[in-house]
Formats: sequence, structure tokens, C-alpha cells
Amino acid sequence: MRMRPTLLPLALLAMLCLPSAVPSIYAQQTLVADLDKRQVSITTDFTGADLLLFGAHAQSADSDLVILVEGPTSQVAIRRKERVGGIWVNTETATLVDVPSFYQISSTRPLAVLADRDTLAELRLGMAQLPFRLAAHSAISEGHINDWRAALIRNMEAKGLWNEDANVNVRENVLFHSNIRLPANVLPGEYGVRILHFHEGVLVDETKSRISVAKSGLSADIYSFAHQNSVFYGIFAVVFAVAAGWLAAWVSVRFFRR
Amino acid sequence: MYVYLPIAEISVNILVIFGLGGMVGMLSGIFGVGGGFLMTPLLIFLGVPAAVAVGTEANQILAASVSGVIAHWRRGNVDFKMGAVLLAGGLVGSTLGVEIFAALRALGQIDLVVRLSFIVFLGIIGLLMFIESIIAIRRARMPGARRGRLHKHNWLHGLPLKMRFRKSKLYISSILPFTVGMLVGILAALMGVGGGFIMVPAMIYVLGMPTSVVVGTSLFQIIFVTANVTFLQSVQTQTVDVLLAGVLLIGGVIGAQIGTRMGAHIKGEHLRGLLALIVLAVCSKLVADVVITPQDMFSVEILR
Repeated sequence: MRMRPTLLPLALLAMLCLPSAVPSIYAQQTLVADLDKRQVSITTDFTGADLLLFGAHAQSADSDLVILVEGPTSQVAIRRKERVGGIWVNTETATLVDVPSFYQISSTRPLAVLADRDTLAELRLGMAQLPFRLAAHSAISEGHINDWRAALIRNMEAKGLWNEDANVNVRENVLFHSNIRLPANVLPGEYGVRILHFHEGVLVDETKSRISVAKSGLSADIYSFAHQNSVFYGIFAVVFAVAAGWLAAWVSVRFFRR
Repeated sequence: MYVYLPIAEISVNILVIFGLGGMVGMLSGIFGVGGGFLMTPLLIFLGVPAAVAVGTEANQILAASVSGVIAHWRRGNVDFKMGAVLLAGGLVGSTLGVEIFAALRALGQIDLVVRLSFIVFLGIIGLLMFIESIIAIRRARMPGARRGRLHKHNWLHGLPLKMRFRKSKLYISSILPFTVGMLVGILAALMGVGGGFIMVPAMIYVLGMPTSVVVGTSLFQIIFVTANVTFLQSVQTQTVDVLLAGVLLIGGVIGAQIGTRMGAHIKGEHLRGLLALIVLAVCSKLVADVVITPQDMFSVEILR
């Protein structure tokens, strides 16, 4: 809990500001929130990043908070293995479009308890509510679609890219905070953050923020070189290897052999 | 110390990669083999995608072969004419190989094909080496045993398009070295190996080349074939990770120096038996990976 020192002054601030807001729960502003950082750099020594989302809201009984972080969408291939002649082979592939590459949803209580199915579906809250759209050329046997959807959720969770939990902490009915864990394999791009305030299962307020994830440093330079100028990258890789091999031979003769 | 590999797109401990380069370098120093056939599967075991392991290994073998060929060149152990014919085949084969590689990757089958290729080749080579070293150990205990003839003429030597290779003291059909070079080129592209472990025996037993020029000439061919593979994989599949190749290379250079010294103190037959066991161990791990029922029948790949 390295963020405690920043929470304390905020708590004092919230105590001063909020009593006036409490009586009017359904007024325009019931929610303030911020992140400890909004820029994440994928540098050469990147092993993932931990962000802290914190804020204050006018909480009463039957009030809930949902914090949703959604990364850039991408195409995803799901492959199913079957045993062919004793070995496991990928036999069927489904290509999906518009899949969030990152989806972390955190709430004060489990989503199913917090609001009804239609509300959750309408607001796209929860991993089960995410659209499952096949690419134009892709098709799977209709009877198994739920297996494929479950497989997508299971695998994305295993990669640390999707998560659903009820770990939003609320203190003194006012202050809340939640941790956002971006694993080492996150895609660069704009990450949308939504903080939703529910009262008796109805959305009463919402605030938004953004996290920008960008590649920087040597690894990023190599990646963009390889993908944008692949012909020159190929020439570079050959020249680099020949020079390195030459140097290695020279070093061996010069320093290792008597 | 963790480093994010730009092309493999995984975060790995750089010391592990360095150590892996050193270990395989040491083996290649002891046994005088390239090491690509061990490095590629070991990288896959570490979590590097099979396609990236293959593309990157071609790049690393290029560097290792450049430093290897220099010594042979100085001693005049390179048959350039034979090398040129092998190379012509190698360029055709490796270009074809990269095409096959790209097509398999698009189908989502490259991982399996790479693993199966390694299972077949490591299995055969491991077993042959193991049997040979056992025979050699027995023969060493029985003095007076005679060696068989190395070079026999058969129908292969009667093929047309004959060429004279002075350095190798051969007058054979150029179709033979061209075909050998081509097959090795395909393997280089598909498996990320130099192919020395196939080419050297083929040069001795099929072409009938004298042992003294075999290693230098095969290295000459491997340099240009792996350069071709590195370039084509960079352009077509973007699977060459220069950062990974660089770290492996540094470890490999140091390891090779240690290995060369160690090799001088250990008996050849026992050494080969040991390498055979290492090869068979890697092979059985690969077999286990494709045979054991996976925990999840589904896998997910983010294509972006």
C-alpha cells in the first residue's frame, strides 16, 4: 500500500467538501475520482504497471461503484485443438473482431447482485456482456458458441488481460480506491476508464478518465523498425549478425587464445 | 534483470537468455556443432513463440557461422566451388521454406509443424549418435578393429551435369550438391537451424567429400543461407528479434570458448554419448508437449 500517504490528505479534503453534497444524492455531481498516473510507458525493462484509482463519492446504503478499464480493441483468433493420430492439432479457428485487448471491471459488490441483467447488458458491464462478433470470413458451429465464448474469457483471464472482481474498497462510506494491474503484455493505445455510481441498481452518475499506454525506448524502436521498414530491418539484421560474428572471432583470437 | 523482447513480445530475465546462449555455446564448443537444433526448442520452452524462435535463431546462427568460417578460411578448408553449388540450392530451398513458413503461420499451424520437425530430426539424430557412440566405445576396447571405406560409388554418381571440384577431389553431378543444399535450405527456414547436422553427414557419405573441407564448406553455405532466411523472415513474417539474437550471441561466444577448452579434456566417445542424451531429452520434452492432453483445448491469440 504505497499510496496511503496520498490518500490521507484526500480524505481530509473529502471530509471538508462532502457533507454539503450528502443530502442531495441525486444531484449532478456525486463522484470525484483520479488516477495516480495517466501515462504508462512500455520501456525495455517493462514488467507491467500498477495504477491506483482513487476518489470520493456520496455513498449511502444501496449505493454501489463500478470501475471499468477498457483497452484498445483488436482481432483475436481462438483455436480449438483435437487429437489427430495421437497428437493435439489446432483443427478449428474462430476470428473475432472488436475484442477489447484489456478489460478490467471492479465493483463494490458482484455485478450480478448490483444491477439486473438488462442494465448490465446495456452498459456493457461484465465479461459475459462483451460482444462476440465473428470476422466476415470466420464461422463456427453454432451449437458450440458458448464453449468458444467461455474459452475466450478463460484465456484472456489467464493472460492477465481480462478480470472481473468485487475489490473496490470504500472507507468511511466516502473514499474509495481500486488497483489497476496492467500486465507486461498490454497493447499500447488509449485505455478508457469509467467510474459508475449505482443507487438501488440504477445508474445515477458516471465519470470518465483515460490512461495512455505507449511504447518507448529501445524495444519500441526495434518493434516499429521491424514492422514499418521491414526491408531495411532485414538488411540491418544481416549486417548486425555478420559484424557481431566477425567481432566475436576477433575477440576470441585476440583475448582467449595464447 | 527483466527485458521486454520487442519481437517475441514477452518479458524475460536477461540472465536466463544469456545463460542459455552460454550453455548452448559451450555445447557447440565441446562438440563442434552449431547448436541451432538445441537453441530453437529451448527458446520455445522458455515461452518465446515458435515462429520468433525460428526467425531469431537464423539470425544468431549467421553470426556464429561468420566467426566460425574465418578460422577455416585461413586454413584453406573451404571448397568455394562446391560451396557455391550447395549455396545455389540453399537459396532456392530457403526462399521456398520461408514461403511455406508464412503460409503455415497464417493457418495457425506453424507451432505444431516446428515442433514435429524437431521431434523427427532430433529423434533420428539423437538415436544415431547414441548408437554410434556405444559402438565407438566398444570398438575402443577391442584393438585391431578396422574402419570401413568412407567413399563408395553408387548410382547417384552417374547423374548428368557433372562438375569437377578440385579442392574436394571429386568429379560428380552438380545435381547432388544442389539437392543437398536445397533440402538444408528448407530446414533452415522452417526450423531456424544452420542444418550442419544434416549437411555434414550428407557431404561425407552422399557426396564423398574429404572430411577436412567439409566443415569449412558447410559453414560457407550456412552463412549465405541464414542471411537469406534472416532477410526474408524479416520482410515476410517479422519474426527476427535482434535484441534476443544479440544477447544469445554474447553468451554463445563466451560459452564456446569455455566449451572448446573442456572438449580437449573429455573422451570423444563419451562426449558424443552425452550430447546424444541431451538431444534425446529435448526431443522427449517436445513429444510430451504435443501428446499430453492440454489443460485447455482452446488457445487465444491476439492478432491486432
